[in-house]
Amino acid sequence: MSGKPVSGGAAGPWHWLSASVRGAAHHRSGLPNQDAVRVARCPLPDAAEGTDAPALVLALADGHGSARSFRSREGARLAVAVALRAAAGLPPSSAPSRRKRWAEEQWPTTLVRGWQAAVAQRLARRTFTAAELDPLDAPGRAAVASHPALAYGSTLLGVIVTPEAILYLQLGDGDLLTVGVDGTVARPLPPDARLLGNETTSLCAPRAAEDVRVYCQTLAGAPPALILAASDGYANAFRDDAGFLQVAQDLWDLLRTGGEAAVRPHLRDWLAEASQQGSGDDISVAILWRAAPIAIASTAADPSPAHQPPRTAPCTNS
Amino acid sequence: MAKRPGGELATRPLHFIWIADCSGSMAADGKIQALNTAIREALPHMRAVADENPNAEVLVRALSFGNGAHWHCSQPTPVADFKWTDLLADGLTDMGRALRLAAEQMHMPPMTDRALPPVLVLISDGQPTDDFASGLAQLMQEAWGKKAVRIAVAIGRDADTEVLQRFIGHPELKPLLANDPESLVRHIKWVSTAVLKSASAPASQAGGLPAGQNVPIPTPPVVPTDPQAADDVW
Repeated sequence: MSGKPVSGGAAGPWHWLSASVRGAAHHRSGLPNQDAVRVARCPLPDAAEGTDAPALVLALADGHGSARSFRSREGARLAVAVALRAAAGLPPSSAPSRRKRWAEEQWPTTLVRGWQAAVAQRLARRTFTAAELDPLDAPGRAAVASHPALAYGSTLLGVIVTPEAILYLQLGDGDLLTVGVDGTVARPLPPDARLLGNETTSLCAPRAAEDVRVYCQTLAGAPPALILAASDGYANAFRDDAGFLQVAQDLWDLLRTGGEAAVRPHLRDWLAEASQQGSGDDISVAILWRAAPIAIASTAADPSPAHQPPRTAPCTNS
Repeated sequence: MAKRPGGELATRPLHFIWIADCSGSMAADGKIQALNTAIREALPHMRAVADENPNAEVLVRALSFGNGAHWHCSQPTPVADFKWTDLLADGLTDMGRALRLAAEQMHMPPMTDRALPPVLVLISDGQPTDDFASGLAQLMQEAWGKKAVRIAVAIGRDADTEVLQRFIGHPELKPLLANDPESLVRHIKWVSTAVLKSASAPASQAGGLPAGQNVPIPTPPVVPTDPQAADDVW
């Protein structure tokens, strides 16, 4: 099987794996994989102060892959790069209220502006070619001419894991799931009713920062044993939502009982099968899990079980 | 390979619904026969497009309107199994009722949020004789009604293109004008192939942008500019 191998690593109690496969539909059409995903250790201010602050940042972007977003593969890669850099702006752990405020107020704008600046830079270096524009119809060319960032359109999922809190961010389609130590699957952010029928909010939208949704989960509650981020091609590959939620639970069971070796060798095959027999879309995942999860008493700040409405509203940036 | 995590895999459903005018005026000048022929001839092309994308499960239905509205084929039928039964023309033009029936099927459930955008094709040669506005409003109250690809074909010069334009809901996409059997065949084939292909692609579309549609509609076919040259002109 071609493509990048599964990536993985560890930082403190957290381990991670990430993988991305080209969708079956893109195999047929000749379009490359439009997703990008990466998990990395996060340089936090605490580290500069000499404290041991293992932290991780996860970024997963899904380039739109539509005719008008003909550079969306590049847009997704820029999104991931910008997200990894932006995490460095997180205030130190000694100021938890500042961290929450940063996540709600600055994280979305930092990401959107950073991505838009990166796109503008790329565009200045390499303007659109006739080969890129010729396949578009007149309205498509007009849309790209008036809004060039559309060519790079991408979604973005982001997670920053620190010893004290986990920050979740979502712009556009895709899924973030957590699994508790007891196996309960939850969505840190509730589904966005606007995202139906392939329409998505996007980094390329003029008011993208307002569409970013953020949730701050303090680890004073029950820390998740596993966090799963996935592009929408994964959930769309299952007959129903329950089948997709089962993925997170099954992964946790496999990792808990068999460790990384129970998942890593098979992950790309599983994703490819889901694309071929399901959505046909590119599928990317990043999995973070705690090697030795500790059950801590639950608090109201924890995300809600996936089948129920959230107990607390997410920190929506608006 | 180890057991794959997760539940049952499934391709994404794409609901395609013909909404056909069967009012008495469709009996004149062979219009209803031409429509039956056009849809029947388009089916093999539709199947070919569906075969090109096995990740979309194309499910076809048809409803007709005249005196009231009725499901001509009520079950979402895989395109490979779909057979066209001729429509008969008689009665008024209860288009609003037809849209209400379509609206019921755009509700979740029976629709699911993982579906591909449905395609609704409204074909008419006249003006609604019932409350079109409330039917359209009911359709547009449904999330999938709003997100559906809505295409309209105006048969003949008496068709109410303003009403059909309201159904489409996008000013840049106009009703397709079919003034003779040949152009009707061409439009029906285009909807069955080019539009279906576009709707069944998994590509995401950025919302909130000018000229935003969740499915890019390909350029419609060019029809003869001199309808007088044709033998049968409606």
